[in-house]
Amino acid sequence: MASAPSNRASTSSSSLSSLRQRPWVRWAAPLLLVVVLAVLPLVMSEFVNETLARIGVFAVAVLGLNVVMGYAGQVSLGQIFFLGVGAYVTAYGVTNEWNIVLVFVLACLVPAVAGLVVALAAARLGGLAIAMVTIALPIVGVPLAKRLSEYTGGSQGLSARFAEAPEGSGLFDDQWQLYIVLVIGGTVFLLTRFLVRGKYGRAFAIVKGNENVASSMGISPYRYKVLAFTIASLIGGVSGFLYMVVIQYTSPETMSFGHSIELLAAMVIGGAASIVGSLLGGAFYVLVPQLTNQVDASLTTLLQGVILLVVLFVLPGGLASLPRALTRGRRRSGAERGAAASTTSPSSTLGSGTSAEEPETERQGHA
Amino acid sequence: MTLLELEDVTASYGPVQVLDGVSLSVPEEGAVGILGANGAGKTTTLRAISGTVRAGGRITFDGKDIRGLRPDQVAALGIAHVPEGRGTLGDLSVRDNLRVGAYLRKDRKGVDEDIEYCLDLFPNLRERITSNASALSGGEQQMLAVGRAIMSKPRLMLLDEASLGLAPSTAKNVYDAIRRLRVESGIAMVVVEQNANLAFTLVDSATVLETGRNALTGTSAELRGMDEIRRAYLGG
Amino acid sequence: MGKFVQLVVDGLSTGSVYAALALAIVLVHQATGLINFAQGGMAVLSAYVVWSLTEQGVPLIVAILLAIVFSIVLGAVVERWLMRRFERGDPDTAVVVTIGLLTLITGFAGWLWTYNNQQFPSLFSLDTVSFLGVSVSQRSIGTTVVIVVAMVLLQLLFVGTKLGLALRAVAINPQSAAFSGLPVGRLLMVGWGLAAALGAVAAVLVAPQLTLTPGMLDNALVYALAAVILGGLTSPIGVVLAAWMIGILENLAAVYVPFIGFDLKVAVPFILIFVVLLVRPQGLFGRKNVVRV
Repeated sequence: MASAPSNRASTSSSSLSSLRQRPWVRWAAPLLLVVVLAVLPLVMSEFVNETLARIGVFAVAVLGLNVVMGYAGQVSLGQIFFLGVGAYVTAYGVTNEWNIVLVFVLACLVPAVAGLVVALAAARLGGLAIAMVTIALPIVGVPLAKRLSEYTGGSQGLSARFAEAPEGSGLFDDQWQLYIVLVIGGTVFLLTRFLVRGKYGRAFAIVKGNENVASSMGISPYRYKVLAFTIASLIGGVSGFLYMVVIQYTSPETMSFGHSIELLAAMVIGGAASIVGSLLGGAFYVLVPQLTNQVDASLTTLLQGVILLVVLFVLPGGLASLPRALTRGRRRSGAERGAAASTTSPSSTLGSGTSAEEPETERQGHA
Repeated sequence: MTLLELEDVTASYGPVQVLDGVSLSVPEEGAVGILGANGAGKTTTLRAISGTVRAGGRITFDGKDIRGLRPDQVAALGIAHVPEGRGTLGDLSVRDNLRVGAYLRKDRKGVDEDIEYCLDLFPNLRERITSNASALSGGEQQMLAVGRAIMSKPRLMLLDEASLGLAPSTAKNVYDAIRRLRVESGIAMVVVEQNANLAFTLVDSATVLETGRNALTGTSAELRGMDEIRRAYLGG
Repeated sequence: MGKFVQLVVDGLSTGSVYAALALAIVLVHQATGLINFAQGGMAVLSAYVVWSLTEQGVPLIVAILLAIVFSIVLGAVVERWLMRRFERGDPDTAVVVTIGLLTLITGFAGWLWTYNNQQFPSLFSLDTVSFLGVSVSQRSIGTTVVIVVAMVLLQLLFVGTKLGLALRAVAINPQSAAFSGLPVGRLLMVGWGLAAALGAVAAVLVAPQLTLTPGMLDNALVYALAAVILGGLTSPIGVVLAAWMIGILENLAAVYVPFIGFDLKVAVPFILIFVVLLVRPQGLFGRKNVVRV
C-alpha cells in the first residue's frame, strides 16, 4: 500500500519535512506499514477482515477510476462495468477450472481490451462526451449480462468459491482472502503510484489541464486519454478479480448504474487524483451502506448524495485533502510564507474547485 | 453639474494592484478621455465604473454612490458600457443586438425610432440589418456595439478603445458618428483611447494614467500643447 | 405493415420523451455551459409531486399544472443555490455536481416514497385509434403531440418574445448582456426553470408506461445524451430529430432484429453513435467541436 499521503512539495512545517528526508525514516515508515499489514489479518476478527478486504476491493476500483478521471481528467461513468467484466471472467474461468494465474491474467486483459475499444471511439469526441458515452456501459452491461446467460449465469449470476485458505497454512478463509487483497491490491497501488509520479502522470496532468497546451507540447491528448482509460479498465478488471475472491458471487446487479454513480461519488469524496484518496473512497463505498443498513437502508443513496455535494462545496479535493486544507487555514492566520499557500494543488482537485481571486464579475463570458 | 465623479479609486486582480488612486470628473453632457500606455489601468477604470470589477474609493453617479452595484444595475441607472472587444452578440442579428440594447425600455415606439436613428447614424448597419452580428466586419461590429449602447438611452457612455483593430479611415468614421451622437443627444462620455489624436477630436478634457494613477490632467487644448503628450502620444 | 406503423408511432412517442430531456439538456448547456446529468432526476421528482397530489385526491390536470410550477421553481433554485458556483469553472467538476444532485434527488425520492414501482395515472387512455387502417395507441399519439406543442411553445418564446431574446443574449455573452441591463442571474434561473418544466412534462407523460420509481428516467437520460451527441449541442432541431430517430429505430430493432430484442434495445443508440461518428465526428447536425474540449 502507498505510504506518503501527499505527492506535492507543499510540506507542512519544516521540522516534519527534514524528518522525512532522513534516510532511515524513509525506509522505516513503509517497513512499519508492511509489518502492520502482515500482522493485522491475524489479530482482527472475521468481520473486520472481511470488511477490510471489501474496502480493498473497491479501493482498487476507485484507484482505477482515479487514473482516468482524477489524474487524466476524463469523467467516466463506466468503471464499475470493468469491475463486473473482471468478476465475470474470474467466475467463468474458475467454474471451468482454468489455471488460476491464467484466470487472473484474463481478468486483467479482457476488461483492458474492452476499455481500449471504448476509449478509441469515445476519446475522439472530446471531454464531456466520454462521460456521456461511458454512462452506456453499465446501462447496456446489465441486460447484456442477463442475456449471455450461458457465460454469465443470467440474472442468477455466478458464484465461485475458490479463495479458500490452503491446507496447512493455519489460516482462516477470511485471513487468506485479506492477504490476497493486500498483496494484489498493494502491488496495484504501488505500480500506479509509480505511474502517476512519472512522465505518464505528468502527461496526464497536462492533458487534464489544457488539451491545446498538451498538443502544442507534442503530447497527444487522444493517445493519453486512451492510455489512461485502458489502464483504468485494467485496474478495474483486477478489482473484479478481487471482488470474486472476497464476495465469491457476481450478478448483473454488480455493474448497475447505481453502483457506477456510487463509485464515482466515492472517488470524489475520498479525493480525486490521490492515492490515499482512493483508499478513503473504497472505505466510503463499503462503510456507508453498512452504516445506513443499521438505521434505515433507504437512507443510503440520500446520504451519499448529501455527502458528495457537501464535499464538492466545502472540500473539493476530497477527504484526502483535509490535512492540507487544515494546515492552509492555520498558516493563513500565522506568518505569511511564500506563494505556496493560496491556490489548491492542481493534482488533487477535480478541476478548479475553489474560485481564484478574480474580479467580482456577474459571470465570465462563456460563449 | 458633475455627472460622474471618481475619487481615489483603487482596484486589483487578485494580488496585482491595477488602479492605485484614480480620480476623474465628468460634467453633465461632457466628454472626458482616459489616455495612457497599455497596462496603465484605462480599461480597469471603466470596469470599476460599470461594476465589472470590485473597486475601492468613491464612485458617484448623479450624486449617488454606485460602488458595489452589479453591471446590470449600473446599466439601469443610465450608464452604457461599450467594452473592449465590443461584446457584440454574434449569434443574434443586427436588429436583435439593438433590441437587446433596449431591454430595459418599455416604450415600443421610442425603441423603433431609436433603431431608425442608429441605422441613420451608421448606414453600414442598415444594409446588414438582418445579418448575424458575427458576420460583420470589425468596424461594423464597433458601430453595432455603440448602437446597442445608444438604444438604452443612457446619460453616460463608456467607450473602451473604440478604434482598436480598425483601419484609420474606419476609426475616423466611427468617431465622426460618435461626435454627431454627442452633439445631437447630449450623452456624456468617458473615452478610453490609445490613439490620442482621435480622442482629442471627441473629448473636452482628458487624464493620462500611468501605472494606475493620474499622471496628467487637463483640457484637450492644454494637453495637446504639452511636450510630453506630443512626444509620447502624438508622435512628436 | 400494421405492426410497423405501430412501432413507428410508439417509437415517435418515446422518442419525444427523449427529445424533451435532450432539449432541456441543450437549453441548460447553452445558458450555463454545463451538462446537467440530473435533468431526468429533476423531472422524476416533479412526477412524484403529481403522484402525491393525485393520491390526495387532486385532479390530474391540476396536479400536473402545479408540478410544472414546482419544476420551474426547482430549476431556478438549483441554478441559483447549487450550480451558480460551478458555472464559470471546470465543466467536469460541474458534471460531477449534477451527478451529486441526481444521487440526492434519487435518494430523497427513494427515502420519501420508497423504491417500489408506483402506478401513475395516465392523461391519455390506452385505447387505440384507427389511423390509415392501422390501430395506434392514443397514449403514443397524445404524448407525441403534447411534447411537440411544448417544444414549439418554447421555441416561440425564444424567437418571438423579449424574454426569449434576453435568454438568448445571456447564453451567448452574459457579461455583455449585463451591460445592456439584463439581469443575468435571474435570467439563468428562468432558463433552468424552463428546462426543468420541459422535463417535467415529459416525465408526467411517460410515467404511466414506465411506472413511477426514482430511477425511472435513468435509461431515458442515456438516450437523451445519445441524442445530444448525435444532434450536436448547438442544434436543438438536430437533437430532436436524433431523439425521434433513436426512439423509432430502437423499437424497430427490438422487433425486427432478434439478437437485439427488447432487453438490448438500449444498445441501439450507441451502435448508432458509433456508426455516425465514424463518418461524421461532429454529429449529424452539430458544428465542429461539439463538446467543449
